[in-house]
Amino acid sequence: MKRLFSVIAILLAVLTACQQSEYEYDDTPQGNLDALWTLIDQRYCFLTYKEEQLGFSWADIRAKYSARLNPGMSRVQLFEVLCQMLSELRDGHVNLLTSLDLGRNWSWKEDYPLNLDVELRQQYLGTDYHIGSGLRYTILPDNVAYVVYESFSDAIGEGNLEDMLLYLRLCNGMILDIRGNGGGELTNVERLSRRFTNEETLVGYVCHKTGTGHDDFSEPRPEYVAPARGVRWQKPVVLLTNRSCYSAANTFVRNMKEMPLVFVLGDQTGGGSGMPLSSELPIGWSVRFSASPSFDARMQHTEFGIEPDRYAFLDEALAAQGKDSMIEEARRLISDGMTH
Amino acid sequence: MKKLCQAIILLCLTLTALQLPASACAEELALQPVPDRSPTSRALLFGVGRTNQFDTYLSPMEYTGLQVSFLTQSERMTRLADYHVSFQSTLQGAFTSTENPAASANYLGGRLAYDAGWHYHYSPLPGLGLKGGMLAGTDLGFLYNSRNGNNPAQGRFSLDVSLSAGADYSFYVPLGRKGGSPCRLPMRLAYQADLPVLGMMFCPEFGETYYEISQRGVGHDIICAHPGNSLSLRQLLTVDFCMKRTVLRIGYLCDVRQSNARSLRYHDVSHSFMLGFVRHFQLMKRK
Repeated sequence: MKRLFSVIAILLAVLTACQQSEYEYDDTPQGNLDALWTLIDQRYCFLTYKEEQLGFSWADIRAKYSARLNPGMSRVQLFEVLCQMLSELRDGHVNLLTSLDLGRNWSWKEDYPLNLDVELRQQYLGTDYHIGSGLRYTILPDNVAYVVYESFSDAIGEGNLEDMLLYLRLCNGMILDIRGNGGGELTNVERLSRRFTNEETLVGYVCHKTGTGHDDFSEPRPEYVAPARGVRWQKPVVLLTNRSCYSAANTFVRNMKEMPLVFVLGDQTGGGSGMPLSSELPIGWSVRFSASPSFDARMQHTEFGIEPDRYAFLDEALAAQGKDSMIEEARRLISDGMTH
Repeated sequence: MKKLCQAIILLCLTLTALQLPASACAEELALQPVPDRSPTSRALLFGVGRTNQFDTYLSPMEYTGLQVSFLTQSERMTRLADYHVSFQSTLQGAFTSTENPAASANYLGGRLAYDAGWHYHYSPLPGLGLKGGMLAGTDLGFLYNSRNGNNPAQGRFSLDVSLSAGADYSFYVPLGRKGGSPCRLPMRLAYQADLPVLGMMFCPEFGETYYEISQRGVGHDIICAHPGNSLSLRQLLTVDFCMKRTVLRIGYLCDVRQSNARSLRYHDVSHSFMLGFVRHFQLMKRK
């Protein structure tokens, strides 16, 4: 009997102990920095590209910022050092989320003119514009449709799109203004893109990391936009962009550049072509990082933005007269048939 | 958390007590024999315990917390090998609530597992039984992180075949004398371990997002599972004893689920105290 109990006890101890030992970082300044550095080293999808484009070595970054740590530093000080380290990546999808602050690098928009006057835009919409969920639209006096979509986080349904396109169907063309659109959900991107093509169109590629190595990626998978079943827009479209078009808005511009009747006008987009995922540090702070890169139809990165077909900027002098120079140029392009 | 534990234990005790006659007492226990090796037994256990969860798709941190669970087990002797083979089926469910070491985020998890199979029984000594066999089962579950953005949850799915082995020992605990005759409490100690050896499981690739999974389908993410990439083990140690006409069962369940595939590591290790009751009966054929 004693032997039986002994055998069972040993069996329980041995078999329970077969659990793998896991996390190796302590909740110390150095432990948190090492955890963050390793997370980016293993999971961030643009590391090789950023090292080439921005001229840093991620291996050197660890030593550079470790030198700024000391064991007695406060949480605020640690937050600052870690944010500075992440800022080296110049990626709006890389954030440190804490109760203190949101660690970020928004140089993709903050280093450039906004090229958007919201009040001016409202003047073009007037007061009797239509609202279709996240879409606001009206018909300008020269019979040009003017559509504003401020965030891809604002849901748009197929019914909204159907009704909007039917209402605007007699217009000569459409100005689709997504200036300031910082992104949102890709389902809205796809839903809207599908209204501007009559055939399945290759718009880009997407892949993901398959391992911890910097260049461990899956085979790029082509992404297509299939035409919507309902009403589709068959007239010229001028897509207005600025540096604040980021993430899903950047993907939308990528898609629309492949559409036959679309002309992109404005400033380069902000970029943000990596699908972000979340993780965390021993101190409990959440980290967001780009995990899955997407490319355009020519397999080029769009992480730092997409160039328009023609650059256009907001003219402050005209703005003072109540004119948005970018909208005005878009109207001219449509009326002159110059969109292609 | 403590209040929740107390409430769950109270619930288990209440549910168990409902099966007991109010007059059950220690003297009466001795009069009841242990229904050992009855043709069919069914057990229903409720458990509460601690769990440790780790899933690098969601977080590199280990989360710890509470698990409440249930386990129903049915075992029936069959005619195979001259009544030496039993058929066993087990349904196990669990709900977990855990938090990270910094207590800044938490996981909610759920799991439902079912397995069934056969054991060959052998009795080398009086009162001692050994058994070994195979089980086939499926495991469904999820882990939800309340804070993550684009990767808030991870799904679990597996189909596998397990090796299963166990032992049981029936004995009596003396309780003194009653009316000149010895009074003894019959008990049965049982242990069973189930080790998955081959199967398939869902495992996304290292940095694969939901968007890609939805576009590609989950077919790419079903991989072969074996002890080399998913060493898991379930162990159940129980003690049965009679109270009037009810057989109570208390036990310890140690459930270790692990995987290390596609550079993603996962484990869910739980230790639970189980309490419930067992019904022994024999199925009769209608004439």
